[in-house]
Amino acid sequence: MNQTAKGEILTTDGIPLKVSLRRSERINKFRAFALVLPLTLFIIITFVIPIIAMLTRSIDDKQINTVFPKTFEIYKQWDRKKLPTEEMYATIFGEIVNAEKRAIGKASTRMNYSRSGWKSLIKKSKRKFKKIKEGPYKEQMIAVDKRWGKIEFWKALGEMVDPYTFGYFLNAVDLKYDSNKEIIGYFLNAVDLKYDSNKEIIRQPEKRRIYNYTWYKTVKISVLVTLFCLILGYPIAHLLATLPLKYSNLLMIFVLLPFWTSLLVRTVSWIIILMKKGVFNSILVWAGVIADENRMQLIYNETGTLIAMTQILLPFMVLPLYSVMKTIPPSYMRAALNLGAQPMHAFYRVYMPQTVPGISAGGLLVFVLAIGYFITPELVGGADGQLIGHWIAYHLKSTLNWGLCAALGTILLVVMLTLYWVYNKIVGIENIKLG
Amino acid sequence: MIKTIKVALLALIGLAFTATAYADFTFVSWGGAYTMSQQKGYIDTWGPVKNGTTKVSVENYNGGLGEVKAQVESGNVTWDVVDILPVDAINGCDEGLLEELDFSSWEKAPNGDSFLESIPDNGTGVGGTISPCAAPQIWWTYVIIYDPKAFPEKKPKKMKDFFDVKKFPGKRGVHTWPQAVLEMALVADGVKPSKVNEVLQGEGGPDRAFAKLEDLKGHVVHWSAGAQPLELVSSGEVVMSIVYNGRAGAAILSEGASFDYVWEGQVLDGDWIAIPKGSKNKAEAIEFLKHATTCASQAEQARYITYGPMRSCGLDVIKKGEPWFHNGIAVLPHMPNTKKRLKKSILTDPVWWADHNAELKEQWAAWMAGNK
Repeated sequence: MNQTAKGEILTTDGIPLKVSLRRSERINKFRAFALVLPLTLFIIITFVIPIIAMLTRSIDDKQINTVFPKTFEIYKQWDRKKLPTEEMYATIFGEIVNAEKRAIGKASTRMNYSRSGWKSLIKKSKRKFKKIKEGPYKEQMIAVDKRWGKIEFWKALGEMVDPYTFGYFLNAVDLKYDSNKEIIGYFLNAVDLKYDSNKEIIRQPEKRRIYNYTWYKTVKISVLVTLFCLILGYPIAHLLATLPLKYSNLLMIFVLLPFWTSLLVRTVSWIIILMKKGVFNSILVWAGVIADENRMQLIYNETGTLIAMTQILLPFMVLPLYSVMKTIPPSYMRAALNLGAQPMHAFYRVYMPQTVPGISAGGLLVFVLAIGYFITPELVGGADGQLIGHWIAYHLKSTLNWGLCAALGTILLVVMLTLYWVYNKIVGIENIKLG
Repeated sequence: MIKTIKVALLALIGLAFTATAYADFTFVSWGGAYTMSQQKGYIDTWGPVKNGTTKVSVENYNGGLGEVKAQVESGNVTWDVVDILPVDAINGCDEGLLEELDFSSWEKAPNGDSFLESIPDNGTGVGGTISPCAAPQIWWTYVIIYDPKAFPEKKPKKMKDFFDVKKFPGKRGVHTWPQAVLEMALVADGVKPSKVNEVLQGEGGPDRAFAKLEDLKGHVVHWSAGAQPLELVSSGEVVMSIVYNGRAGAAILSEGASFDYVWEGQVLDGDWIAIPKGSKNKAEAIEFLKHATTCASQAEQARYITYGPMRSCGLDVIKKGEPWFHNGIAVLPHMPNTKKRLKKSILTDPVWWADHNAELKEQWAAWMAGNK
């Protein structure tokens, strides 16, 4: 081993030791990376890319701009007080006639979100405009369908002029752009990203306000289900952790058995148990607790949703709690009692703090699962069963409004991340333990 | 543990591969008794299936264009024929997700009507197809059923009885989406079935329907899956319910349930069959559709389910062959689209609903939330 004047250590072939070490380490690092590469790729493809795609889709409005670029150029100059000029009619006429069928179909779906009716109007026009050979177009277009002569339809186009929109997010919280404003500014001027206050946001008409209520209902049910799971699961987990092995194994099977049964079977069983002439009500009537005509409505409402969801999600609370409680030596409690603490006091001061990682893990698991729940509330919830998952599925399949789906999904993600952040601030994320 | 999971996963992947390797023709529908009727009515009787040159694999889906859109956009179309609702048939055709069909060479009706002329609308003339991409399948309807035991004296006969909770007390079963309910509310409000679409689509139409729905406030149990309303009525949870007529027909004909129908104001909706754009077996799929839509195939399907064959010649075949149901019971009393019943019913307007779907669904959800 040599040493240079600067004091660096060299290997026998004269390369500084640090460099040589780095080289050999590099190969190791590369090997290690190659081992996790499949997982990294998997995560990128199935997790990171979809999330990025969802985020962009929730504000993307370029699609329609590629179908009506010229119309929108003229649209920006329109005063929005009376019907557009012949020039705008002629331009949109040309763009409808020449557009590719699939592109215009998508565009009309998009236009229909801002005003119901655009969809069939565009479709009809695409079919009938072929017969119109020459201008002036305005009167002929209105003759094809009188909606072309209604200024509200033109005004509704305003919110689509920008290639980006917050319209989907607004929709997801019962707000919308006011299309009756005389000037619609351009929210994010694509070039200088300047906020333009002319694009005013108003509330949806009262009869259409449903999303805020749904958000409230979804969070409320998720919180309640998490709470009920905790109240029911804590004693079970404690029993599991403290009973002798032969009993606790049996008990464990009781916890896991429903877990292995089909979700639908369990959901439908609850319907049979809880319906008006179902098992539970009939037992109460038979026992004389309630009169035959006063049978309780326990299903097709919020009560049913809470009961069924709590039962289905209970194992997700019990298992993390159990795994944490199993590691708490019974001697701690004995010591506390021995030193003179009341049982309640000893539980509260000694035992419970040690189970916090389990409570957190179970709570987060149940809450995350509950907030996106779909099929159980749908079946047992009746009018109360349409949680946010229902609306995402509905827009995904029925209206093809994937922008709104993405916005709803993004909000859901943000709610979860916020909760996680709050949790981290209060409890600390290192205090979570799944097993 | 991890090993078991691995083995299970590998087995699953293997299964998936074998499944795709053997199926050369994929037919996608809703599952259950309906798909069974399609299987027996025209899949098993199709030439290439009978002589063993083609194996049709039947898949289930939950409706909507989501899967079709994903397949077409990714360029990997694995479905060849899909059973589809009118709104989706129209939207899918507009967005270029479905193949367009040329019906000129398809089977004529025995009375000389062309293929499209043999599809009637509700009593006024030719309905034809709703979209150049859609071949006719069946009419299914939202109809009212009740348990006759619940009303020992006077029986409900008209749509307005469904909305009259004083004359016929008890809860009503209603689905959790606005389609058909709004039309029914207008009939109950005194609009003639043939005028319902006009009123609904006119100024303030939906609001008039929602106003009539106030009569039901506090008397509704909402259902979301097709099997639920039958359970609701037979268990006494509700006294009357809106149901899919095919479900009611199956319960009565196959299981001996005792339900009675209120046909007036029933809302007809169709199921159509279509080919996803870029299907790998397009030519074969067209031949399949031709076979599936013959008068004979249409009638054959009604042996197994009480949805109405869309082509009227299908009903003629049934009439001559009664009792037609596979277990030897007459099926015409349960068919929604006999001439007489067609006149009392509303043909849902898929184009208008496609325009107003989102808006009215939100309004309906708000109504449900306030209706407790």
